[in-house]
Amino acid sequence: MSSQNYSYNPSGQQASAPVTAESGRSVEYTCGDCDASVQLKRGEPIRCRNCGHRVLYKQRTNRMVQFEAR
Amino acid sequence: MPKIPTQEELEQRKRVQINAETVTNAQSNDFPHHWPGEDHSWNLDYFKSQFRVKFEKNERYDAEFSLIGLDTSVANAFRRILIAEIPTLAIETVFINQNTSIIADEVLAHRMGLVPLTASRKGLDWMSWYREPTEEDRGSGQPMDYNACQLRLEAACTWLDDDAINRANRGETDPNKLYKNHSIYAKDLVWVPSGQQNDKFEEPLRPTNPDILLVKMRPGQKIELFVQAIKGIGQDHAKFSPVATASYRLMPTIDITKPILGQDAKKFARCFPKGVIELEKVTEEEASEKKELEGKEGELKAVVKNPMRDTVSRECLRHPEFKDKVKLGRVRDHFIFKVESTGQWDSDLLFLESVKLLKVKCERVKRGLDAMMG
Repeated sequence: MSSQNYSYNPSGQQASAPVTAESGRSVEYTCGDCDASVQLKRGEPIRCRNCGHRVLYKQRTNRMVQFEAR
Repeated sequence: MPKIPTQEELEQRKRVQINAETVTNAQSNDFPHHWPGEDHSWNLDYFKSQFRVKFEKNERYDAEFSLIGLDTSVANAFRRILIAEIPTLAIETVFINQNTSIIADEVLAHRMGLVPLTASRKGLDWMSWYREPTEEDRGSGQPMDYNACQLRLEAACTWLDDDAINRANRGETDPNKLYKNHSIYAKDLVWVPSGQQNDKFEEPLRPTNPDILLVKMRPGQKIELFVQAIKGIGQDHAKFSPVATASYRLMPTIDITKPILGQDAKKFARCFPKGVIELEKVTEEEASEKKELEGKEGELKAVVKNPMRDTVSRECLRHPEFKDKVKLGRVRDHFIFKVESTGQWDSDLLFLESVKLLKVKCERVKRGLDAMMG
């Protein structure tokens, strides 16, 4: 299989913040039902503001991943 | 006094005989001590007088030519060098910032690697090798403008307009009527020239075939990545091979030993690909000269027109009426090369490059031998 390494993004452009950091930061999720994006802060109920669905998906990291094209 | 064989005998000696079930006389025999009393030692002047090159087709990405009068070992060496040892530029590393399409990152990276690239010859010649640094060897260090090219791919799929989602709900399935950017092609890879690349590349670096489908996407999906292309050879990975096809075949021969006439001639022509066998009327002259053709003037006769196009299917040997009238064969020292470039070299230049590389290898062996002896 191809080798890969999860390297740190040196340009550092909008690397997503860790979820547990400062309580003021909000994290974006995607609703499992209506596909809307949901901003959640720490301690908020896990619920879509648009449709009330209780399943939210975490989004993929913005960090760069390096692959060998082999 | 060395015996000198007749031209006709020499022709027969290098004929591979193709019979209904067997192939005979396949091995070359033009070397010393094979034919008693004859001198077959290798001689440059003799080789020069015998060797011929004939082009059948010479297009940029597709060349077909004959090399006549050399040994299989040399012809095969050229073929192998063409496939595995001529350097080209190909995508080697993929840096993925975002990929929410359904294609997994590593699969996408692998796909990108196989996309053939093209650019100006001058720029590609100027590029040098990149070696990845390891723990004990620092390689060629960081990728620089002279050993790595960068390309970008940024794409996001969206609904075509506000009503598109309703159309989809009503049963519309044509992606062209629903989504923007639903198919990402090789042409969406954009070169980001850096440093000296701006001057050295007269033509921009781009995928040879713009319409290679890389990914299909749906609204909300996004790809954001950049890649590094480096120089490499086919031995390392097939993506670096400069040719799509580099192969040779031996020149087919068809000898009609007894005339094939009338309906038989038509059937005989159908045993071969189009253009190989043609029908001609028997002339008065022929009819008076040959006993078998007496009184047959005006009848159709099968003649070999273009044996090169034959696939040597041996179909004609399956029919009892032709079995004793035709001899199939191949010329052992007539190689019909077919070279199809993937875009970085012109096909004819590719072959010349393989000759150059073989020469370099021979010189290396010679130097090694000299060092060993002296």
